This record gives sequence, structure tokens and C-alpha cells, in this order.
Amino acid sequence: MSSQAAPDVQLTIDGTTVSVPAGTTIFDAARLNGIPIPTLCHQQNENPVGVCRVCVVDIGQRVYAASCIRQAESGMKVQTCSEPVQAARRTLVELLMSDHPAPCARQQHSGDCELERLAGAAGIGEPRYPKRSTPRGKDDSSAVIAVDHESCILCDRCVRGCDDIRHNWVLARRGKGYQAGIAFDTNLPMAESSCVSCGECMVSCPTGALTNKRVVGTELGDGDVLDPSELLHLPIFQNVSGTFLELNQKAVVKRHYRAGEIICREGDFGSTAFYILEGKAEVFLSSPMAHVKTDGSSQGFFRKLKSMLRPRDEHRRSEESDRPFIPIDASVDLPYDKPIAELNAGDLFGEMTCMSYYPRSATVRAKTDCVMLEMLRNVLDILQRNKTFRAQLERNYRARALDSHLRSVPIFASLTKDFIDHLRDRVELIRFSPGQVICRQGEAADSFYLVRIGFVKVSEERPGGELILAYLARGGYFGEIALLTGNPRTATCTALDHVEVVRISRDDFNLMLERFPDVRARLESIAEERVAENRKRASQLQTLPVDQFLANGLMEAQSLLVLDLDRCTRCDQCVRACADAHDGVSRLVREGLRFDKYLVATSCRQCRDPLCMVGCPVGSIRRRNSLEVIIEDWCIGCGLCATNCPYGNINLHPFPVELDDPAHPGRKIASTRVKATSCDLCHDHAEPSCVYACPHDAAHRVNPPEFFAGLLKQSSPPRG
Amino acid sequence: MAILALAAVAYVPYGLRSAQAPRGGSTLGLIYGSTGFAFMLFAGLLGLRKKYPVWRVGRAQAWMRGHLWLGLVSFPLILLHGGFHFGGPLTSVLMWLFVFVFASGLLGAALQHFMPRVHTTQLPMETIYEQIDRVRGQLAEEATRLVDETCAALEGDVSSATENQRAMAAGAGANWDVTVASGMQVDEKASDELRRFLQVEIQPFLQRAGTHGTRLGTSTLAAAMFRQLRVLMPPNLHSNIDDLENICEEKRQLDRQSRLHKILHGWLLVHIPLSYALLLLGAWHAVAALRF
Repeated sequence: MSSQAAPDVQLTIDGTTVSVPAGTTIFDAARLNGIPIPTLCHQQNENPVGVCRVCVVDIGQRVYAASCIRQAESGMKVQTCSEPVQAARRTLVELLMSDHPAPCARQQHSGDCELERLAGAAGIGEPRYPKRSTPRGKDDSSAVIAVDHESCILCDRCVRGCDDIRHNWVLARRGKGYQAGIAFDTNLPMAESSCVSCGECMVSCPTGALTNKRVVGTELGDGDVLDPSELLHLPIFQNVSGTFLELNQKAVVKRHYRAGEIICREGDFGSTAFYILEGKAEVFLSSPMAHVKTDGSSQGFFRKLKSMLRPRDEHRRSEESDRPFIPIDASVDLPYDKPIAELNAGDLFGEMTCMSYYPRSATVRAKTDCVMLEMLRNVLDILQRNKTFRAQLERNYRARALDSHLRSVPIFASLTKDFIDHLRDRVELIRFSPGQVICRQGEAADSFYLVRIGFVKVSEERPGGELILAYLARGGYFGEIALLTGNPRTATCTALDHVEVVRISRDDFNLMLERFPDVRARLESIAEERVAENRKRASQLQTLPVDQFLANGLMEAQSLLVLDLDRCTRCDQCVRACADAHDGVSRLVREGLRFDKYLVATSCRQCRDPLCMVGCPVGSIRRRNSLEVIIEDWCIGCGLCATNCPYGNINLHPFPVELDDPAHPGRKIASTRVKATSCDLCHDHAEPSCVYACPHDAAHRVNPPEFFAGLLKQSSPPRG
Repeated sequence: MAILALAAVAYVPYGLRSAQAPRGGSTLGLIYGSTGFAFMLFAGLLGLRKKYPVWRVGRAQAWMRGHLWLGLVSFPLILLHGGFHFGGPLTSVLMWLFVFVFASGLLGAALQHFMPRVHTTQLPMETIYEQIDRVRGQLAEEATRLVDETCAALEGDVSSATENQRAMAAGAGANWDVTVASGMQVDEKASDELRRFLQVEIQPFLQRAGTHGTRLGTSTLAAAMFRQLRVLMPPNLHSNIDDLENICEEKRQLDRQSRLHKILHGWLLVHIPLSYALLLLGAWHAVAALRF
């Protein structure tokens, strides 16, 4: 950097004669001789750039020189701390402090903001200069590093760290004058850029502009805390910043599990992911593979309705899924017939739980003695951006899960092994951050996508606003309509959380359709259904005074249970009937939105925007083409859908089951398992029980646009 | 109604031609009595129908209509059965029971027809009746939280005042009127007054069902009290006072709902036991009259 092999140079610094090799900067010359010069933009491991000018020294010339870049010359007389030099430095620091949000994040967390330290040493209190009027903002997108542009002093250290030290070439400057700042790639949010979260920029930053983001509860209790040097020996942590690992030392721990020990249980909430270092683990679903069926237990007048669990081969519902595999939060899917699979060394599980705080999708038990790393989100985020780790994960996915993932989509069930082998190395795994658009309505189509993890929102821009068409979980797919028709994309697909998709190029997609005509036929049929449904939904929107409906949130519903309050005597017979029809678990509450003289009771509305579906760890809640909600057999009863439903319309129905007694192999013990349920309109009967049981003709199941059309037309002002 | 008309038509010649006065033991009398009792029995089955709402034995609305109409028709039939006489001790008791059951039934039908509309118009903040106590508790917590928030804002203003402001406020004297110069003094007093109002007026009102003579139980008085309170508060905190007022209004509506609910369903406490007594005694009367 600053020193080269050359004849020595003699100069005087603060009255002391020093001798340094030619090419040495004044800063280094002073440093080598124990004379400190304050600086902000200069670091020993980076090439100096002289932007902050805090290191200015008086070399007897008209202007002061930046000592970090000015080379020492023979006979030079340098003053590093004369009154005028100190006054100049003080002015510079005061100017920087005038725009600095003191105390900044770094000063608050660790008390080592270099700018504030310099200001303190110079006795600078409240700056005399006015603060900037235009804020530069913050970027909270990264799971690991908080970006506060307000604290940035444009010292360029982060840029040099990213480019010169790590060779990632992500950071650069943007803007001019007072709007200048640092930017990731083309000024993208950090999480959406090509940043690999190595932490070098954060380590380089002298202020609170780039700080380590501490995840709530950042320390994992008990478990072996590993030294950063031990972690760096593991291949998956190659190229990760050692300083970052030091700062997050307790965010990753090593755990030992004995054979038979449960590592995590399905339905439990968590915030960590596991990486298997040694051993094998079994992943399975312990919930019964059955759905809730409500049925009359005897024929004749006095039928008593009873709710029971029935698997799909005993009771087939319309549009029941034929999926042979159950999607879980691991590198494998579970076969429906025998939902158990094996995880080996090098496998990662619990990604969705860790990144998006979803419930555990399956139970994992050590098959042999295991050694695992348990990690929090910030560490997983770093690994997911680490090239070595990503390569390994992708290899595992392609080798073990791609086949079952493709076959789990019923329309692809007939794909042959050789075609899947053909696709294996050609598909691309692409990650998206929450809110990132995967493909946009109106764009030309060049890919077909399968969702590997996370949730994707499919929406269409209409004149009245955004219309949600669907939420897709693992195993869902999109992009086929535009590829089949050759038209631009018909909808926008956006990542709702941390999403990874499998991208199949247009050429491979077309090859697939050519070789497998039945796949083509089924895709075309589904595409037609989707287009028709979208068209129907859009036309309904056009025929109503939408603003009033939207204002009451009623447009989201396809089917409402409405109580005429002028007839209802509040006898609660409807609620009792619902509870009696469902083994004491009512799916209806006589409370909710009031619209005119009607009460919209709390009962499944079959919303057009089914928020209940977002986050299901096993993708078991979806809807039929009629938009009625269906909950698949593999619901693990975690209750997330019940939490997500904004109307409280999903209930958890307990069922007695018999499970293997771990203490006594071969014996069974009685236990309870819950399954999510929502109003099923008592579809074994001609009329829902609530409506049937109302003595005053006050309860009705209605289609909102039709039912309220008259009311809305009366109350809306004449148009034109 | 056709049955009633037929019965009335048949009674005229029966009454005119019978040697003795028309009586329940005669053929026509027995027909009237059996039919009337059968109608009463069916009407009584409504309770059973409601107890098992999922039984698919006809819509509950049909049963309710049957209950009302057949119950209505059974009364004149029984009168015709008894020849408009109350008879001996047992039959007198039966007839009086029947009168009360019939009258309470008519009252109930009227209440169930008119009261729901009253509920709807007078109780926009209506909740589920069994949840009233819980909602009241939540209102009390919310009111406490609002007052704490408001007082914190008032006391915060006070604590950040400069020496100059404090001196000016002291000079304005112990005056409840709002003055710009004495904003400091008013805020301290306002905070104390608000806490006192919470403890003395709001909490006792919210924590108990009913008004119990509390001033906040009357909407006009409550409005006046809150108006006075607003005068003490700086304008930026008036929204909190509005919220407190709404909480009290909601409590008044819950009290009203409780009263209306008791009216709407209270008559059943008379109607149902008397109906069962009527049916039992009626059955005994039928056995006793036929056998003995």
C-alpha cells in the first residue's frame, strides 16, 4: 500500500526527525514513529483516498495536505497538531457532526463511533451549523446489517472493503452533492442486491451507518458455542467474515442429539434452522393423515351430526388434492402414503421457520447420534448468500428433492425420469426477498416457476386497484398461462416472505410440453379455468359501486352468513346448532361487522384474498376453483391459519388419537390432535345448520354482491 | 284458522241442542278437548326441537310458526271444550294456568316481533349478551389506560416547562379557567382532576353492571360532565376525552342491552314453567276425567 522498497526519506514531524522508506505517506511515517494523526476515512488494510481530510497536516504549503495520501518527501517539515491544524480539524468534524444523528446506532450499541469519539476529544458539543433538511433514509431490508444513511459520512471505507478486500463489487457511490450516498448494486435495497452479507462493510464503517443487526433473542441458550475460528474451518462458513462471526458468536451453536431424541416437533413455533454436520435424522408427520368430515351418524329424522377424521382414500371431496408428496420445510418432501423421510449430513431444515417464523412443518427425530448446528436468522441469511453453502444446498436439492417436488405437482406426475434428469442441472434456483416482484403483469414471459419455499402472492392490477388472485405455497406454480398463450404475463407475482423458486426456462418448458402432451393438456385446462375465474371475479367488481363495498370489507367475501337484526331475537340457536353439528366446536360467532340492519356473523367468508393461506408450513390450506376453502389431510394443527384469518373464522378442532408410546414400544397412548376447520356449509345437508335452526328466519347464507346489490344501489348517488 | 272456524260453527248447534249445558265429557266436548290438547302438546314440542337444533325434522322456523298458530287456536278450542266454564278445582286451576300461558305467549310473540328492531336502532354497540361482563371489564381497562396516557401527556408538559413558564403560571393563581399564560398551572390541575374523575366517576360506573344512580348513567349529565372536562384539557388531548366519553356511552348501551335482553327473554321464565305445568295437569285431567 503505502510503503515500497526504495531509499529512505528524512523528514521532520512535530519537531522530531524521522526516517522512512520512500513512498511512505506522512500518515504512516507519523504512525511508525508513534505520532498519532486522527483520521476517519483511512484504514490500514485499505488503499487511502483522502476524502475526509481529518488527517490534514501542515507541510508549510498554502493548503494543508491529507496525510493519508501525501507521500513523505525529504526535508519536509510537518506539523500535525498546531493550533491552526487543530482548528481546521475541529471545523471539519463539527461540519460532519452537524449532519450526524448523535448518538448514532454504533455509539449506542458499543460506544465506538469514531466520529463521535473525535468530536468528544475535540470538545465539540452542539454543532453550530444547521442540520440537513432532506433526509437520506434507512434501509432495513437486510436480516444482518442495518443501513442508516443519515449516519453515513461518505468516507468510502465500505466501498473499498467490499471491492478491494472482498471483491464482491456490490457497493458504490450514488448521487451528487447533498444527495450523495452509498448504494448497493443499482441502488437496490440491501437484501435485494447481490450483497452476500459477508459483513466487511459493517466492520469497515467508522460510524453507525452500517451496523450489525441484532435479532431479538440473539443468543441460543445451552449448546456448544463455537469459536469463530472453529466455524471458519467448516466449509459452509468459507468466505464469511470472521468479525461477523465474532459479533454473532452465540447466534449459532453446536448441538448433540442421541438416537431417538426429538429435535423439533411439528406445529411448534421457532426461530432457528438446523444444519446437520454428522448423523442421520428422520423427518415425519405425527398428525393423522386425514381431514375433518361432518356426517350424520344415522339415517332418518333424528340424525345426529358428528365430526370425524377421514383419509382421502376413504372419503373423497371435490377438488381434493392428488398430491403424492407433502411439502415441508426441508430439502425433501414427504410421501403422502408414508410421510417419513431421512435427512443426512449436509442437509438443512427449518429454513422457513428461521427466516419467516412459521411453525415447524414436521417432527424431526435423530435416527442415529447427530451433531447439528442450530442457527438464528442472521447467520442463516449469511450462509444463504454464501456461494459455497448455496452450491451445496442446490446440489442436495437437485439430487434429492427436485424429482419429488416436480412429481408432487399432479400435472407433472407423468414426467419420466430421463426428462427430470435433463432438467436437473438446467433449472435455476432463485431467491427473492419479501416484497420483491418475481414477474410483473404485462412483461414478456420467459420462464415457468415452481415455488420451493415461501409464499407468492399472485395479483392483477385492475382499474379499481389490486385484485389478489391466489397465494401459492411450496409446490405451487405460476407463469404457465403466458408461456402457453405467448401473451404477456397476466398477473404480477410477488414474494410475500423469503421465497425460493425453481425456474424452468421457456425452452425447457416448451420441450416438456412437446414430449408430454398430457401435461400440456392439463396445463391448458388449468390455465383456462384460471383465466375464466379471473374474468368472473373482475366482472363482478365492475357491476357494483365498489367503493362502498370495499369500505366495509365485504367485497372480499364470496359467501356471508348474514343475520337480519330486525328479526333476530339473539337467542343464539344458530351458534348452538353449529356447535351441535360439529361436536361442540362452533364455527360461527354471532358478532361482526354491521351493515345497515344486517350483522355479518363471524363465519368463513371464502375471501377473495385468503390471508389464512399465507404461512401454512405444509401447504395444507388452499381453495377449490369455487374459492371454497379446503384443508388437506396433512394439516398439522399449528393454528397459523387461525391466527392469520382477520375474522377469526378458522377453529382448531381436537380429535382423540392413539399414538405410539415412546416409553413402551409397541404400546399406544391416548392423545389429542387438532385439525383446522372452518365453516363447511354443512354440505352433507341441503341447508347449513345455523340457517336451518333459526326460528325467526333471521339467518341467511348469501352471496354479498347479489344480496346487497339493492341496498347499495339505493344508497349510492346517481352517476353522471 | 279453518279448524277454529269449523269448531265454532259446530259449537252453535251443539250448544243450543244439548239437554244439559255443553260439557267436556260429551262427544263434541271430547273432540274439542283432545284436539286442543294435541295442539298444546305440539306447541310444547318446540322446546325439544330447540334443544336438538341439528335434527332435520323440519326447519325451526316452521316449528315456531306451528307453535304460535296451534297455540293460538288451542285456547278457544279448550274454551269450547269446557263450554266456557272453568268447572271444578282442577279444571279451574288448569284454565287459569292456560290463561296465563296464553297471555304470556301473546306477550312473548309481541316482544319478539318488536324488540329486535329496538335492539338494532338503540344499540349500535351491541355485543353478545353473555360477553357483556367481559366487555365491561375491557372498557374499564381501556379507560384507565386512556387516563394514564392523558395524564402522562399533561404531566410531561409540566415537567418540561422552563423556569419562566413556571413563574408565569404561579402568577396566574389557582384558576380553573384556561389561560394561555397559565397553561402550566392548568395542566397540573387538569391532570389531578382527570384522575379524580376516573376514580370517583368512571371506574365505579364501568365496574358495575347497571347505573346504580351514577351520574354517568344518564347521557345528558354525562355529556355535561365531559364538556366541563374538555374545558380543562388542552385541545390536543380532546380526542382522548372523546374516547372516554365513547367508552361511557358504550357502557350505557351495554346496560340498556342487558335490560332489553331481560325483557326480550324474561317472559320465558313465566311461560315455560307454566306451560309444562299446564301440560302435566292437562294430561292428569284427561286421565282422571276419562277414567273416573
